[in-house]
Parts: sequence; C-alpha cells; structure tokens
Amino acid sequence: MPSADTSAVQALYTAHHGWLSTWLRRRLGCAHSAADLAQDTFVRVLLRPQALPTLREPRAYLTTLAKGVVSEHWRRQALERAYLEALALMPEPLALSPEERLQLLQTLDEIDAMLDGLAPKAREAFVLSQLEGLGYAQIAERLGVSERTVKRYMAQGFERCLAVME
Amino acid sequence: MSALPPPAPDAAVLREAAQWLVRLHSGRAREADHAACAAWREADPAHERAWQRAERLSRKFGAVPSGVGVPVLARQARGNRRAALRTLALLATAAPAAWLGWRLAPWEAWISDHRTATGERREVQLADGSRVLLDTGSAIDVRIDGAQRTLRLRVGAIQVATAADARPFVVETALGRLRALGTRFTVRQDGEDTQRQIRLAVTEGAVEVTLRGASSPALVVPAGRQTLLRHQGASPLTALTAVTPESQAWTQGVLYAENMRLADFCAELARYRPGLLHCSPEVAELRISGAFQLRDTDYVLSMVASTLPVQVLTRTRWWVTVLPV
Repeated sequence: MPSADTSAVQALYTAHHGWLSTWLRRRLGCAHSAADLAQDTFVRVLLRPQALPTLREPRAYLTTLAKGVVSEHWRRQALERAYLEALALMPEPLALSPEERLQLLQTLDEIDAMLDGLAPKAREAFVLSQLEGLGYAQIAERLGVSERTVKRYMAQGFERCLAVME
Repeated sequence: MSALPPPAPDAAVLREAAQWLVRLHSGRAREADHAACAAWREADPAHERAWQRAERLSRKFGAVPSGVGVPVLARQARGNRRAALRTLALLATAAPAAWLGWRLAPWEAWISDHRTATGERREVQLADGSRVLLDTGSAIDVRIDGAQRTLRLRVGAIQVATAADARPFVVETALGRLRALGTRFTVRQDGEDTQRQIRLAVTEGAVEVTLRGASSPALVVPAGRQTLLRHQGASPLTALTAVTPESQAWTQGVLYAENMRLADFCAELARYRPGLLHCSPEVAELRISGAFQLRDTDYVLSMVASTLPVQVLTRTRWWVTVLPV
C-alpha cells in the first residue's frame, strides 16, 4: 500500500491541484466535471506510488495521467449516450429494473473499454459475432471483407479481451 | 501462510486460447472442434486457467441482450451517432420477427429494397415496367439508371419478367451475373459460402451467365432449360436440363414434389413457415409426391400425416416435428 508515499502525494496535491483543475476546466469547459476528473487523476497517482520518488516533472506527469482520464471520460459519455438511445429505440422495450439498467451499462462499459483501440471494422465484426451471434460468413458479407479478414479481426478481439480479463 | 495464487496465464497461452475461441465461434464449429479444444484444455493447467478466463468473457458477453450491443459498441468512430442510429433503424425494421430470434432472419434481408416475410409471396413492378415475383423470405436490391437495370438477389428466389427496354437487365447473384435477353426466368439462391448454389430456370427468351470474377460469359441458357451454379470446382456449371415443374411451382404458390425425400420436403416447406420444422432421421428417407398449396402449411402437414406413416408433433405453433408413428 502507498502509505509511505502519502506525504509525497499530499505534497503533489497541494502544489498542483489548483493548476490541474484549471487545466481540466479549459479542456472540458465545465467546472463541475473538471473537479471530478482532477480527483480521478489523483486517484491514478495513488495507484502508481512507485512513480513518485523519481518524479522530475510533476506537471508533465499529471498532464499525462489527466489526458488518460479525460479520454476515458469522453469514451464513457459517448457510450452512455449511445446506450440511452439504444434503450429508447428498442422495438420492444426491455423490461429492466433501474439496477439492471445500471448493471448492463457497467457491462457494456467494460466491454467497450476492452475493445478500445481495435480498428472500427474489427470492433464491429467482433461485436456482431459475440453479442449478436452472427457467423463469420454473414459478418464477412455484411462488412464487405473476406472471411479470412473476419477471422483476423476476431483473433485481435479475443486476444485483447483475454489479456485484460481477470 | 497461504498457497501462492496460480500465476496469470502468459501471453502465448492466451493467444492460443484466442485462436480456439476464433475457431469455435465461426458458426461452423463441429463436434471435432469442441473435442480438440477440450483436449487442449486438459493438456496443461495453464491452458485450463486461460480457458477459465475465456469462459468469464463469454458470460460477460452473454449478459448483453440482443439488439443493444451493436448500436452501443459498434460505433464507427467516437461520437458518430449517425451510424448507431442507422443500425438501430435496421433493428427496428426487423421488429415483427424479433422475438423468434433474429438468428433465423437473414440479416441481408433487412437492408434490401424489397423483401418478403416467411410464407409471403409478392409481386413488385419496377420503374421500367419489369415485374419481379418474390418467393418466401426473399430480398432484392434494385438499381435502374440511364445505362443499366440491375437487380441484386440477396437471398431467396425470384421470378423475373423483363419489360422491353434498350438498357441491359442484369441479375447479380453471389456466384455470378445473369443477363436477361428478353425474358422470363426464375433464380433461386441457397446456402452460404462454399455451400452456396444458384438455380436458374429460363421459361422465355434466354439468359446469359457470367460467373463471378470472370470477364466473359460462360454460357447462354435458352428457354425451357435450367442449370445449377455451385461455389467450387473448375466447371461450376452442371449440364443444362429441361425446366422442371419443381423449379416453377412456387410462382403459383405451390410446392411440387415428385418422389421427394421427406427430409427435403420438410426443408422446402420450412422456407414457407415461421419457426422450426424438424424432420426426424427415422422418416427422412420416406418419399412423397404431389402438389401442395403453400397458403396453408398446417394443412400440408396434416396431409403428410394422413398419407405417410408419420405423425406431426406440434409443440408450439413455431416448433413442429415430423416423427414415425
């Protein structure tokens, strides 16, 4: 646990929290989420205590972490929007309790994060196979690629998912 | 002291597990593939650990209801809502059949210009005056421009009666292009991939066939003849034969059988019925002959039961099995 480094984190926080919040606010245009994301950034600092003692450019380090937090924030926002649209447009409304809705969003978020970085077509192929049960031949025809290519996409998708699953 | 947790599977083993998943999810995995995978799992505890991870992954995917995953996760690019909405519009179109599971409904049919539901038969008049009759569960795209009239058969069967027009009339299929030369003909496309086959029967005029990937026509099928195009082989064309009543009967709403295996008969009849129609192996080789009205497939099944030593077991309206008496 990072107990030994708490004071280092404390120092980092005191010295740079205000600066980081301003930096985030300029990027997001929203003070409210800037404050949240500043918190998230420092959580990431806490999760990597080993980086602290050697830190020479604290602001550069914070910026790197904050960029990750911001892109995660956008990814999640886009996902939530798509999720709400999908639910609203379902031909037959899913009978889900609020908890189940949240659980489903959580699951979609995890899958989305796992697939992050896959090329759009590979991503689509993977989702059509794993979430809608299409065969590779159907996917190939739908995406206008060969079945070999679909297999390559699937291998990329599975490798990525297996690498990050616990 | 507690035992150390087992080490995380290394990257090479995870890659192997990924390859097994690719193989098993193709939609064509056989018993042998599953057995081979099981042997791989047993060969090494590390394999089994990697596979446990694969199973947790499958459970995660399984928790997402059909219809939600694609619009949410297959976003073309970050923030590209338009694509998601388009996907959703397609899903919405399929609503009537949705509860039957859209694995039964060919995806191809949803994005076509004209399509028929299972059991439906409908005639469409094209802008140039040509008439196309769509058989059950069929779908076509139509493009008519200044130079050419093109019809793409995505799935199922059609009868085409072309209108007199200077522009060429072409039917695109998965295996080749059929150019009508003042004509009436039927085309049926079955199977997927290597099992794919196209049945072409010409009743008036003639049709020129150009195989997929070829630059010049392979043959001309004259009136009164039919042919079968297959996926594989140096010569994918079988010899021309006389047009059979079987290939034309559907245009009159009739299923025509002449000494047909009961299994084949059931497979044909199933094309006109929503749900599952299963023929048990014990009665598959029985033979059946006759002309059956496709309007009422329940009645057809009762006729089968009264003429052959079989019983028709109806579990639900959507799940019917033909069994020995």
